Amino acid sequence: MLALVRPDSWNLPLFLHVLGATLTFGTTTTVAVVGFAGLQGDRERAAWLRSLNFWVAFGLLVPSFILMRGTALWILDKEFPGGHNEPGWVSVGFAVSEPGALLVLLMVILAWFGRSPRSRVAVAIPWLASILLVGLAIAWYAMSAKPGS
Amino acid sequence: MSLYQWLLFFHVTGAFFLIGGIVVAGTLNLAAILKDRPPSQVATLYGLIRFAVPLIGVGLLLTLAIGLWLVHNVGYSYGDTWIVLAIVLWVVASALGNVDGKYQRQTGELAARLAAEGDVSSPELRARLRNPRALVISYGSGLMAFAVLGLMIWKPGV
Repeated sequence: MLALVRPDSWNLPLFLHVLGATLTFGTTTTVAVVGFAGLQGDRERAAWLRSLNFWVAFGLLVPSFILMRGTALWILDKEFPGGHNEPGWVSVGFAVSEPGALLVLLMVILAWFGRSPRSRVAVAIPWLASILLVGLAIAWYAMSAKPGS
Repeated sequence: MSLYQWLLFFHVTGAFFLIGGIVVAGTLNLAAILKDRPPSQVATLYGLIRFAVPLIGVGLLLTLAIGLWLVHNVGYSYGDTWIVLAIVLWVVASALGNVDGKYQRQTGELAARLAAEGDVSSPELRARLRNPRALVISYGSGLMAFAVLGLMIWKPGV
């Protein structure tokens, strides 16, 4: 029932946080879809799809993730100033976003090196994106349902 | 967990699916139009958009059905300004998305045909890819979904 009693000053950071999270979900799904497609077909097709995937990961996924994570800290500071009495669902957010940041970084690095159709590292990118998608689903379950609260 | 918590989770899941699907389709569409690509690449990109369609469909269903259930569960009025506005935007965005989907499917089919006939682009394909009216419909329907997200947060009139 938080929405019913939420102060107006929380709306902008919450909107930007949810926007960032949904954009992160969409761009991660795009990386997974283009990544799996880039593992099939001839070398020329693989090459341009892998190059496209690097730009999606670097140019769209990274800013979306930063928006989600940065505004999470903003809303957290308003809702639980000084980090006092943080409920369990907040910890779930950290437990997903901190390894998630490493996954995003790893995907960008692998996407850069995986642009060549001969590269084998590109195989890992769509699987890493799929792992991040599972993490994001766990986080939005914790953030929306707030189990235990 | 209470019924409210479950409803909110599925409603938010719908929003993630809907906006996530819009982002997938929008990104692949943008990739097709930003650069002069051979028809085979355009056909591949438009072919990949099909993975966004079930996400958008399930997202539309969950956001509306669970959203209406939430209105009843929480005790809001179905006549509240933000709820009426959200439903109107949902209906208009769905209708425009449907029009855009048909247009993009035809563009993908044209690109696939050209790819099979020598992979050389045609003025018709280029015109379809950069048709201003189609782009306004496509990106306008997506922006409406983001506007609904804003309404859900700010709830003007409450």
